[in-house]
Amino acid sequence: MLGFLSARQTGLDDPLRLRRAESTRRVLSLKLNPDRDVDRIHGNGINAIDIETIEGRYMLSGGADGVIVIYDLENHSGKQQYTCRPVRTVGRSSRHVHRFSVETVQWYPYDTGMFVSSSFDKTMKVWDTETLKPAEVFEFEGNVYSHHLSPIARKHSLIAVGTKNPKIQLCDLKSGSRIHVLQGHRAEVLSVRWSPRYEYILATASADSKVKVWDVRRASGSLFTLDQHNGEKSKASSEAVNTAHNGRVNGLCFTSDGLYLLTTGTDDRMRLWNSATGENTLVNYGKVCNESRKRLQFSVSHGCSPEFVFVPCGSSVAVYTLHTGELITMLRGHYNNVDCCEFHPDYQELYSGGKDGNLLAWVPVVRNPDVEEDSKDEKRGAAGLPAVNPAFQDTWSSDED
Amino acid sequence: MELPQRERLSQLVEELTTSGQQQLHQEKMKELKKLCRLSTDCIDHVYHSVMTQLSQEHAEIRLSAFQITSELFSRSHHFRTLLVDNFQEFLELTVETDSEQPLPPPKEVARKLRALAIQTVQSWQTSYGSAYKKLDLGYHFLKRVKKVDFQDAEARTVAERRREEERQRKMERIYRARVEAAAKDMEESYGDMEAALTEMESCMKLLFPEFSLFLPDSSGQSEEEQPCCSRNQNPIFPPSSSFLTGRRPQRKGNQSVGVGGLLSLAAVCQHAELHHTALLHICLTQLFFLLPQMKATSDGEEDEDDEEEFEEVPEKEGYEPHIPEHLRAEYGLDPSPSTSAAALSQQKAPPRRPPAPPAPSSSSSSSSSSRRMKRMMEEEQDPTSAAATLRLLREKLPLQGEPSGSDGPGQSGPEQQAAEVPVVPFGLDLYYWGQEQPNAGKIIKSASQHQFWVPAEVEEEVESQELLAQSRSRYISFPGKFVPVSHFCRAPLGNGALCQRQDRLKCPFHGPIVPRDSEGRPCREEDRQREEQRRKEQQPDWRDEELMRDIEAATGEDLGSSRNRRGKKKKKKFPNLSDLKQSSNTARSRLQRKVFNKSTMRRVADVLSKADRRKHDKFSNQFNYALN
Repeated sequence: MLGFLSARQTGLDDPLRLRRAESTRRVLSLKLNPDRDVDRIHGNGINAIDIETIEGRYMLSGGADGVIVIYDLENHSGKQQYTCRPVRTVGRSSRHVHRFSVETVQWYPYDTGMFVSSSFDKTMKVWDTETLKPAEVFEFEGNVYSHHLSPIARKHSLIAVGTKNPKIQLCDLKSGSRIHVLQGHRAEVLSVRWSPRYEYILATASADSKVKVWDVRRASGSLFTLDQHNGEKSKASSEAVNTAHNGRVNGLCFTSDGLYLLTTGTDDRMRLWNSATGENTLVNYGKVCNESRKRLQFSVSHGCSPEFVFVPCGSSVAVYTLHTGELITMLRGHYNNVDCCEFHPDYQELYSGGKDGNLLAWVPVVRNPDVEEDSKDEKRGAAGLPAVNPAFQDTWSSDED
Repeated sequence: MELPQRERLSQLVEELTTSGQQQLHQEKMKELKKLCRLSTDCIDHVYHSVMTQLSQEHAEIRLSAFQITSELFSRSHHFRTLLVDNFQEFLELTVETDSEQPLPPPKEVARKLRALAIQTVQSWQTSYGSAYKKLDLGYHFLKRVKKVDFQDAEARTVAERRREEERQRKMERIYRARVEAAAKDMEESYGDMEAALTEMESCMKLLFPEFSLFLPDSSGQSEEEQPCCSRNQNPIFPPSSSFLTGRRPQRKGNQSVGVGGLLSLAAVCQHAELHHTALLHICLTQLFFLLPQMKATSDGEEDEDDEEEFEEVPEKEGYEPHIPEHLRAEYGLDPSPSTSAAALSQQKAPPRRPPAPPAPSSSSSSSSSSRRMKRMMEEEQDPTSAAATLRLLREKLPLQGEPSGSDGPGQSGPEQQAAEVPVVPFGLDLYYWGQEQPNAGKIIKSASQHQFWVPAEVEEEVESQELLAQSRSRYISFPGKFVPVSHFCRAPLGNGALCQRQDRLKCPFHGPIVPRDSEGRPCREEDRQREEQRRKEQQPDWRDEELMRDIEAATGEDLGSSRNRRGKKKKKKFPNLSDLKQSSNTARSRLQRKVFNKSTMRRVADVLSKADRRKHDKFSNQFNYALN
């Protein structure tokens, strides 16, 4: 650390390097921290969370009971112990609440005054954060599994919506209407993601085990379909041609630079694709338990030197390195299946929500300040660690001797 | 940590968990804690072994392992961190949070484990919840998601409670349906039951007094118990004691029909001592027939019924099994003992009430007697009538005592001797007895079987000595008489009993049958030796029980001398734990294992299909078999 600092001061290193090294270190020390709590508002499972990118302060969460909560993540108290309080809540008592499970929530990328949520009650609502009233409601024929707003779009304000219908809907926020459909899938569309690099590029994952990449300016068909065998016919049986997985594909995530695309499927696999060519990079992540029939939300770290993937794996969150596929750690804390996790790029924190209704904050453990040897001994001899919580002490009763 | 310590810890954990007790062994637990206190490595080791035991598929092991866990949890911080890190799995194994991993049997222990685990988690939460975040999370998970009510004594989840209620409701519904069905059934068959009851009652009314009349012990009251004949009819039903002693008041006139029948019946009944149910039945049938007659007669001659109607008859010893011919008519019987067999095959007709007898007359005229004879004949044709039953009875019962006159005078001494002489069936030899047969033993032998062409030399007749002898001699085979075997094998069996086989000469298991004493040992010395020899041959000498026992006593090692007798019984690994397979080891399951054995099923299927195929092969040219 000190070496990095001095190198940066003297200008030997790229300033980014220190940042990367430090954030990598922090990611590696992620832990379930008693200092950070998130209030329990959801009585049921949590399906989706989203952290806004402008301030990195507010987090949206959508629950299986239709409730949407906005949390304040920023700790202004100055103490280590902090509980994330809900700022606003669309509770069950609200008139506009989703009737069924909320599947996806997303902030409007440029302003926290607006967010979009979609639900199994076949609607997608655009909310005004101030009044917590829907400014616009889109209705569909089937359950809405997923929607996404392009994080970088300047020239359009399209929301891609994946529903039970195999056709992907494109809704325009400007006109408030469904302006377009993209046809090509044969089963329900479980996940849609805009590329963070090119504003017209859209990736969609469907239950027909295919992943298609579209250019929305060219509506006649997809650009290409990801093929797990990279077009080698010999390995694929006839019906497995152009499939990304051998089961439903329910998770989709671009890396932060948009060069790679990650997909997860119910065949318990995770695959990394080159998003420009659609080539399978054949990184082996091993078995990633995945039995969700709905969308799985996972995320990729940002600003670390090897990038990390955080992916729900049963009741824990698995952390892999992106390009080598090495399993770093399993974050165990949930008591039921984890459905979503979101990485906070500014503080290298991870938030995860699961079916047990817990929203857990995984916070880097701050390294204890090193104390010189002799003083440590003195201290221990004198007070016997007075700061330690009594619950952490051993209590061997004397009758055992 | 040294190896012996580690081993000791593993051993302690295993002993504690496989004890099968509800409480932990205090001494061992103390030792375990003492060892754990030494270092965190020990705790690591204990933690892992306890978790292994917790995942065993036996609730008693889990319960004990859980008790160890809770003991250590309150002691060691290190143990707490280890356990809390893996708290999901811990809850799955003890509180049954995952419905796909139910707690293992036995059920009561599992329920206890669950309740205990929930209580313990709550107490942990209150004391350590603030410090261990995952413990807190787990507690809230139980509370909010699994909806465990920590106050509930049963510590059940909402789902379980609902299931329980559902089950109760269902059972109630079933019970109610059953009650309704039973009530409906009852209603439906009420009429039938009533009818049956009345039938029964009237039947008993009819039966009971007559029944008691013939019981020797109730003879005294029989008179009083008779509702169907009035008191002034005493002479008709004299006390049975007079029956038995033989003092028989005889009645003249046609009433004697009933009385005589009754008397003979009484005699017969006494003879058979009323043992036979069939006999009883016959008696009752007879009575049925007689009673109305009695009534009728009593009605007819109530006024003139008096003592002078009876005349004293000489006393008799015992009874009269056979009524003399001249008295037969008086007794209401067919004069000759032989009847046509057609009477037996006749359909059972409703008992025909005889018409009221004609006016009493002191002297029986020939015409009236002949008429009565005819009626008797008719009666005997009827199987329900007294005469017919009596005849049957007589045929059935072996005749005892001296042959009476009814047997006829032809049965004298020489005839009896003739009956003992063996009778030879009639044969050819008897036919030609004492004659010389001209062509006996000659047979015509044709050399050629051809019909038209005959060879030149004709030498047709051949004398056969064999045939000749046959026609003159007679074989009488004398196989002797069959005598049933009365002796037993009586060789000692393994269970201490004696062999009960009854073979004539040789028991298939114990060899020739020899005389034996009460314990089954042969009486003769050479037999005893032979038996000893045989036993030794069956068993190699080193397995001789006594020798082995001697060796065992000398060396102190178990060579399995006792195994010899009892068969090999596998020792259970943990004898204290309740056996989970016990319940599944029922007669039904064992049979099921045999019957539904895969190879058995295959064999049966093979046989069946083979039979089927054979049918196909045989009849395949017929269209209806060829089609399927």
